[in-house]
Amino acid sequence: MEFFLPIAHMDVNIVLILLYGALVGFLSGLVGVGGGFLITPLLIFTGIPPIVAVSSGAAQMAGTASGASFLHWRHGNIDFKMGLILLIGSWLGGGFGVYLSKILLREGQFGNVVVFLYVILLGFIGASMLIESLRAVLRAGAPAARDAHAPAASSSLLRIWIGRLPWQTSFPMSGVRMSVAGPLALGAVVGILTSLMGVGGGFIMVPVMIYVLKMPTKIVVGTSLFQLLFTTAAVSVMQAGINHSVDPFLALLLILGSVLGTKLGARLGARLPAEKLRLILALVVVAVAVKMIVTLLIPPVDIYGMSVEVR
Amino acid sequence: MMRWLRCLLCVLGWMVQAPSWGEEPLVVAPAISEVKITTDFTGTELKAVGVMSGPGELVIKLVGPKQETTLSRETKLGPFWIEGDRVKMADAPSLLFLYATAPIASMLSPAEQQKYGLNLEGVWVRVEPQLKAHAAADWRKAFFRLKEQQGYYHEDDSAIRVFGNRLFIADMRLPGDLQVGTYTIETLLVKSGKVVGHTVGTFKVRLAGVERRVWEVAHDHSWLFGSVFTLLAMLLGLALNAIPYRRRR
Repeated sequence: MEFFLPIAHMDVNIVLILLYGALVGFLSGLVGVGGGFLITPLLIFTGIPPIVAVSSGAAQMAGTASGASFLHWRHGNIDFKMGLILLIGSWLGGGFGVYLSKILLREGQFGNVVVFLYVILLGFIGASMLIESLRAVLRAGAPAARDAHAPAASSSLLRIWIGRLPWQTSFPMSGVRMSVAGPLALGAVVGILTSLMGVGGGFIMVPVMIYVLKMPTKIVVGTSLFQLLFTTAAVSVMQAGINHSVDPFLALLLILGSVLGTKLGARLGARLPAEKLRLILALVVVAVAVKMIVTLLIPPVDIYGMSVEVR
Repeated sequence: MMRWLRCLLCVLGWMVQAPSWGEEPLVVAPAISEVKITTDFTGTELKAVGVMSGPGELVIKLVGPKQETTLSRETKLGPFWIEGDRVKMADAPSLLFLYATAPIASMLSPAEQQKYGLNLEGVWVRVEPQLKAHAAADWRKAFFRLKEQQGYYHEDDSAIRVFGNRLFIADMRLPGDLQVGTYTIETLLVKSGKVVGHTVGTFKVRLAGVERRVWEVAHDHSWLFGSVFTLLAMLLGLALNAIPYRRRR
């Protein structure tokens, strides 16, 4: 069942796009990740221009994150002071990233940068998750003897560094005191990644908030989602305004698919053990990274490619 | 069968109204005046129907509006294949279909083919930035090859059906991702290696319905579109996720 996308100016299969949304929503419901890192590569594999994939992915994440943020707000899991500082950082980073996208598009390097960023990030995250989850699965049954020293050692150095920065302030909701510069810089990095890769950045934000900023996990998830919602929303507006690259039909199909997938994933997630869930996610991440690396390594059938200026 | 009969009745009706059809060597009924691209558009069939004065060969040339195309060439960076050089191919038609009753090269001399633009690789294309002749030739060659591979440039010497050396019908299939603009259909009647009849018709391709409005708003009022659409996406997500939660409470 073909459907014409006016901004991407191409036909896509509705069922395929709904399935992509459902797959990402399913993983989101299953293991609690945003799934933005999967949507962009899947759309690019389908032939959708990278800039349209990234921008429409940001709009889709704003859509799906709004419902989850609402639920966390109802449960009092959002540190608004921290969230607003993160948000200022991510808006600044997002704005810079959107302009960087425009320059890269003009130079014809946007696709190269997106693919390499994905390979590096997915490769690193996927490998780390795979090792960690395989260890967990192998020692399943035994009490979880988590190696708490490794993250603690590296994060303590960062904490000392953040402790010396100016503009120290307290965050009563999270029960921590630190410089405003820390969350501001973290937000900026996430904002740049959102506009260049169409990812929410939860995979960076959540570990940093837990291990480096020492925030309670419950507050981390709610605050991260709050920041994700308004960062992806701002990036979606900026990409539409500057690059005219948000395809509304594509984003709506992805939102519908992901809502259905999230519900299925959440049901299954409640029945499966946590270490197996993490292993499933790690395998998916590694598979996407491998597919992207293979695409870069295999000599192309035709070294020439063609794209048209749609009017 | 019904479509074919409808076409035949259409051309017969049109010929009755046209006072000079009996005197002209070649008369072609307007195929269509407009093609609208809507959500379910996946391409369309066009029929060119007409009458010729007697036995001869026919060529129908369908030309799309000009389109700026970017060509890129992958290069090797260490072990990786990445996108390297890029050039713009300006002034080339977005689509070029040549239909004929026989191979065009066998019915017209190269000079006549050149005169009427009946050679797929003879189309004028400007390469930007300006390059040395041999480098530009490589890009042009790649451009025509890709256009043919992707079905935008195409030659077919079996698509025109002739009935009784007088009536002819050509079946043309337009792809789904058509460039918006004015398309030209030229019909040529060839006898003894010379073009003896030549007609030109046009039709427009435009975005219609929601697609057109979405495209226009997304380009003409991009910030407003981005803000409103993102807000709608957030409200939709909220409604789909939060309302079931409220019901459960």
